Amino acid sequence: MDRSWGTEQLKTMTKYFIILFGGLIALSSVAQDRQVVPQLFKDTRVVNGHSVQTSEKSEMKFIISHRFGYVNTGIKELFGLDQSTIRIGLDYGISNRLTVGLGRSSFEKTVDGFLKFNALRQTKGDKAFPVSVTAFASSAMTTIEWKDEERENYFSSRLAYTYQILIARKFSDAFSWQIMPTLVHQNLVPTGEFSNDILAIGSATRLQVSKMISIQTEYYYALPNQLPDNYTNSLSVGVDIETKGHVFQLHLSNSRGMIEKYFVANTTGKWEKGDISMGFNITRDFRLRGRK
Amino acid sequence: MKNLIYIVILAWLSLALSFDLSTSNELAPDKSVSEILNALGDPNPTHYRANIDPQQVEMGRQLVYNGRTKMPDGSMSNYISKFYVCTDCHNQVQEDPILTESDPEKRLQYINEKGLKFLQATTFWGMVNREFWYNDDYVLKYGSLVEAAHKSLEESTQLCARECSSGRYLEAWELEAIIQYYWTLELKIKDLNLSSSEYSSLETALKSGNQNPTLIKMLKSKYALKSPATFVSEPENRGEGFSDLVGNAENGELIWENSCKTCHREYGPSQLLLDNSRFTFNKFKRNFKKDSNFNLYTIIRHGTYAEPGHRQYMPLYPEERMSNQQIEDIRAFIERELQ
Repeated sequence: MDRSWGTEQLKTMTKYFIILFGGLIALSSVAQDRQVVPQLFKDTRVVNGHSVQTSEKSEMKFIISHRFGYVNTGIKELFGLDQSTIRIGLDYGISNRLTVGLGRSSFEKTVDGFLKFNALRQTKGDKAFPVSVTAFASSAMTTIEWKDEERENYFSSRLAYTYQILIARKFSDAFSWQIMPTLVHQNLVPTGEFSNDILAIGSATRLQVSKMISIQTEYYYALPNQLPDNYTNSLSVGVDIETKGHVFQLHLSNSRGMIEKYFVANTTGKWEKGDISMGFNITRDFRLRGRK
Repeated sequence: MKNLIYIVILAWLSLALSFDLSTSNELAPDKSVSEILNALGDPNPTHYRANIDPQQVEMGRQLVYNGRTKMPDGSMSNYISKFYVCTDCHNQVQEDPILTESDPEKRLQYINEKGLKFLQATTFWGMVNREFWYNDDYVLKYGSLVEAAHKSLEESTQLCARECSSGRYLEAWELEAIIQYYWTLELKIKDLNLSSSEYSSLETALKSGNQNPTLIKMLKSKYALKSPATFVSEPENRGEGFSDLVGNAENGELIWENSCKTCHREYGPSQLLLDNSRFTFNKFKRNFKKDSNFNLYTIIRHGTYAEPGHRQYMPLYPEERMSNQQIEDIRAFIERELQ
């Protein structure tokens, strides 16, 4: 069902987010000369979604992500390994706080781009600030052929948008927690059972188990009455392994999508039925310019 | 008669004052050591610059601190290195309390008092007064790569820019700007702590205008003409460490904070973050016996190498930049933090 947003609605949404972004930028300019708490998460991704971390200035992060089919497909599909989707992405740190990124997923041949701004940083000391706050906005465009070419198709139907505020705190060297109020807007949804706007609350944790290894969990809870009954919430567990210049992320998830539109608003897998897909992200950092 | 007395007094006063003024001009505390050496007959080094241009000095300073500079046309120059700037490894002020000694233990106390970093490479302060660079074991280990750099400040600067900072060779104007900046960090006569008799001898010699090899030798004995570099081995038994040395955890903490973490910090030149968490300390503790980049002895004495696709590396610490005692101090600090 096409419930394309009117231009006015989109403008309003964008306006609010720009105001929010602007406010956060203004807040970030307040001198934070206190001792900053570094590395709340090891990487800029928790599992599928983003963490509060941003890329370092002038650093290009090349990310290859794979998601396989469900393990309950059995030996015929080699427990899902025969069904692979891939996202290739590039993130770039314009500054230590502002990151832009582009990616292309094989799933529905989706191109996505995002902007991410780390407005506030957790600090300790006399004037401690309790959390790090990052604003995130992305848009995604499917490029797959129209399912029904007979009907009147609009370009805008290919588009979806995501807005998030990522709020995280490192409680100890071993444990960080992040919450992610999220809005996903899809211009085109399959049926009237879907809402074009999906409001969700995400929660993510990081448990450091050694200097180079940490375990992440990520859960997105879509608020009630927005999705059909057979849709569910995304739950993922991952391990980050840090090596020189790389982070390997291995994970299990009931979502196969790698961008917000898919894992927040289009998850159908159920853990209890074995709808679990393996996946991994490999990131490689390249420095494009000097540090100062 | 009265007039004659006045004239004599005035003449005497003028003479006395002129002597006084001439003395202060010859050996003002800020008088350049290289100028005095030259006045005594020592030839100027090849990197000598008679005229220092403030604009070039500022460009050189920016190149040293930021890795690039604003050029006269207003555009920014290309980075010398994507990974490092000079100040990651070199202080810009005096770092040794005694100029003839390169003693890392005395240096640690000195840098702690002055709020400086404890770094692998020598300060740029007094760089132009040295006569050799990339010394001793650098020559033995790297041979022809450092041969020219050993005897030339220009060549050593180029070598550092290209190899040590995983960057590129400097363009002629960049090298000139950096050399001019170095000259603003040259030694002054006040830095040498001369005795009053040495001072008087110098004053007399300068007034005479004669060459004086003895005083040249005396002046050059007051500061190091090179920064010595001795590459030393790890202990035979890494698990036991240097068993004849007892680590001092407080000194170890100073080195951890002022040396290790100057690079291993967020947004620092290294991608490896060394925080003060138990995970970090445990990682080192578990590797005391192992052949690993997390083995304190191995990493400090050998460093790492730049690799294709990962040009960041850790330079080794020669004995003169970190002593065996100081490695034991870091170990003691790590063990203390894990108690």
